[in-house]
Amino acid sequence: MSHVSYAMILAGGLGSRLCLLSEKRAKPAVPFGGKYRIIDFTLSNAVNSGIFDIGILTQYRPLSLRDHIGIGRPWDLDRKRGGVELLQPFQGWLENDWYRGTADAVWQNWSRIDERDAEHVVVLSGDHVYRMDYRPMIEAHLERGADATVAVAEVPLEQASQFGVVRTDAAGWITGFLEKPKNPPSGRISMGVYVFRCAALRQELWKDAERDTPHDFGRNILPALVDGGRVLSYSFPGYWQDIGTLDSYYQANLDLLSCDPPFPLEDSRWPIFTPSTENPPARLGPRASVRSSIVTHGTIVNGTVERSVLFPGVVVEEGAVVRDSIVMGESWIGPSATVDRAIFDKRVHVGRGAVVGHGEATSPNRGCPEHLFQGLTIVGKATRIPEGTAIGRNARIAPDLVEEDFPSGGVPTGEVLERA
Amino acid sequence: MNPPILVLILAGGKSERLHPLGRLRTAPALPYGGKYRVIDFSLSNCVHSGLYRIGILTQYAPMSLHGHIGIGRAWDLDRRDGGVRLLQPYVRQRETNWYRGTADALVQNRNVIADAQARHILVLSGDLVTKMDYGPLIARHEERGAALTMVTVTAPNLESERYGYVSADGHGRVRSLNEKPAKPDGAEISAGIYVFRARDLRERLDAPDLGPDLVRDVIQPMIAAGESVDAEPLDSFWRDVGTIDAYFEASQELLKPVPALNLHDHDWPIYTPSEDRAPAIVLGEGDASMSLVAHGARIEGTVRRSILFPGVHVGAGAVVEDSIVLHDTRILPRAVVSRAIVDKGARIGEGAIVGMGESIPNREFPHDLSSGLTVLGKGAEVPAGSRIGRNTIVDMGVRESDFAVREIPPGSYLRARALRRG
Repeated sequence: MSHVSYAMILAGGLGSRLCLLSEKRAKPAVPFGGKYRIIDFTLSNAVNSGIFDIGILTQYRPLSLRDHIGIGRPWDLDRKRGGVELLQPFQGWLENDWYRGTADAVWQNWSRIDERDAEHVVVLSGDHVYRMDYRPMIEAHLERGADATVAVAEVPLEQASQFGVVRTDAAGWITGFLEKPKNPPSGRISMGVYVFRCAALRQELWKDAERDTPHDFGRNILPALVDGGRVLSYSFPGYWQDIGTLDSYYQANLDLLSCDPPFPLEDSRWPIFTPSTENPPARLGPRASVRSSIVTHGTIVNGTVERSVLFPGVVVEEGAVVRDSIVMGESWIGPSATVDRAIFDKRVHVGRGAVVGHGEATSPNRGCPEHLFQGLTIVGKATRIPEGTAIGRNARIAPDLVEEDFPSGGVPTGEVLERA
Repeated sequence: MNPPILVLILAGGKSERLHPLGRLRTAPALPYGGKYRVIDFSLSNCVHSGLYRIGILTQYAPMSLHGHIGIGRAWDLDRRDGGVRLLQPYVRQRETNWYRGTADALVQNRNVIADAQARHILVLSGDLVTKMDYGPLIARHEERGAALTMVTVTAPNLESERYGYVSADGHGRVRSLNEKPAKPDGAEISAGIYVFRARDLRERLDAPDLGPDLVRDVIQPMIAAGESVDAEPLDSFWRDVGTIDAYFEASQELLKPVPALNLHDHDWPIYTPSEDRAPAIVLGEGDASMSLVAHGARIEGTVRRSILFPGVHVGAGAVVEDSIVLHDTRILPRAVVSRAIVDKGARIGEGAIVGMGESIPNREFPHDLSSGLTVLGKGAEVPAGSRIGRNTIVDMGVRESDFAVREIPPGSYLRARALRRG
């Protein structure tokens, strides 16, 4: 194993389908599951698999990711040898452009691989929720002498068109790789978890860099390698969830709340690490009722919480009801307010008696009907909803709004509210 | 930083009256408030007060404390200058002794005190829960030019045998300090927080034939000799946790609608090493109210007026009320835990009842356990369907096979048949 010790995590992308949540942060930095950020799963998988030398490729809005990673202490990645490094686009003798795609990001940082004399490198995506030991996959890769090995998950056929679909032969070698096909032949898709033989990867990255392509692993690099016939598939049977859309984000959070969760956050054999905030235990007051929910340190509940995920420091005042919702850090739900099927970014302030998620989900969102149609209402960071205001479903409320930005008649279903 | 201060925290004593809770740890290492240990309050107070040179004197069962403190990172005490040091008794060339008392512990660390070149020494009893800024205390001490300033509080209860009563004159000069008086004079007691002018303390510690106790052999003689010993009253929440009742009462305070000790105070956070656990989760028919719930807790039953530490599981149909349940204890389905303190890693079998029936004082320790609490030691196993009366102590390491009968009458003391380590 000693010769596969370096991993690169792709964390640069703009997650446009996550709507407001990823407007000001990279998708891997989106909060998840009460105390985590999405990249924690990949990072924890890496260190739990014994990989302690990691480069994170960032480009889009890296600040919250950088603050989160810090010097890597929560993952034991503050090390003398190895550790974690954020690889931002830079200017140099040959390099003078932003990353043009995932493949180009790795190519521009090829010196990192060179200077390690690595024979193989692990390349991971930073926006999936799963628990995976990479070691057996690396072993298979070495044993079979593959140029590349691709972890493969099985998803329902109707979802497969969002992913890279693989076709394999009886021995597990990949014979075809179709990125986001219209008519997927199967639900066997690439998880964005790869092991590459460096020499093979280098050759393809070099060729690709000279061409006018999207410079994308799924579209360009893997199909080219598949043509060489030495790309192995590695089937992963466990829970794996891509956090590509608001819907999948919401679903993956709610998955945590089922009685026999398909993905339990607590597993002492495979802990998920994250920087812990300095907060006391969750405090449930005399009038509190908390059912089927996650309550994180620093939350104070005096109202009713059902089927919801509360992040650190959320306060639910007396008489307030939070149902089927995801409420991020330090939001305040005022007395007698109702929050139903909503996703709140951090520090949202809901005035007394306000209702978020009012009425029926009769029409999708005006601004992004393709992402906001399932009845969820999404409220951006630090917005202050005035007392008594009713907000319909499928509504999108911009961040940083103050009371005066809200129309007196409330916000109807499907509306987009921006700063006046 | 002026003036230079050395902090010494006394954390070495054995707390007999905590029974199984104090077997493997000292009172300062006692888990408190859902994720903390008692000593976190003193340490957090120090760093918020700008005091970063700290020695912790340990002797009895120091392992859990040492593991907890580590290099002091949780408190930002892993520092180039100062930081935190654990001061254990050690073997010398000439005379080697355990610490024979609090004064002797300081005597044996005379070199630490000398090397610090501090102007004042802040001595803290490690088993206190209070939020206090030591800055104004030290400023007053300095201003008045006192040899010793001792913090006083109003006694939180009438257990006079646990406190030292202080009487002071109108200028705050201490006239007397009476330990464990039969009939206390007033209600002001010593809070276990002392600022000594360093040279006065060192002179006292250098005296030949010094007795072992800090109060009896250092402080009371200073008062008797007419040295300038001043009292500084503290009027915030203050509790020591040296007994089962005191620990329980100090914990229940946190659950009040407006607790006198606010843990959710962003201006004065209490630091502790955080554990990597998932957030608390309530599942299925589970419901929780009026409680503190830490990370890793999993609630499928009913939890009321209780404190759950990390990793506690409450099974479906189980009820936990008015209780303190420490790390990783498993309460299996349909069990009932009522007015109990359950130490780490215990296992309460299906349908078992802990804490039931009349409140008959504990037969062996009526003085320590008569308020109706039931105490389960670390790793205790309670068999399915068994019933344990109130004021009962189930010792650490008791296994299911140690239960001769399924019904343990109130006031019992159940011990493990075989002595087991750890």
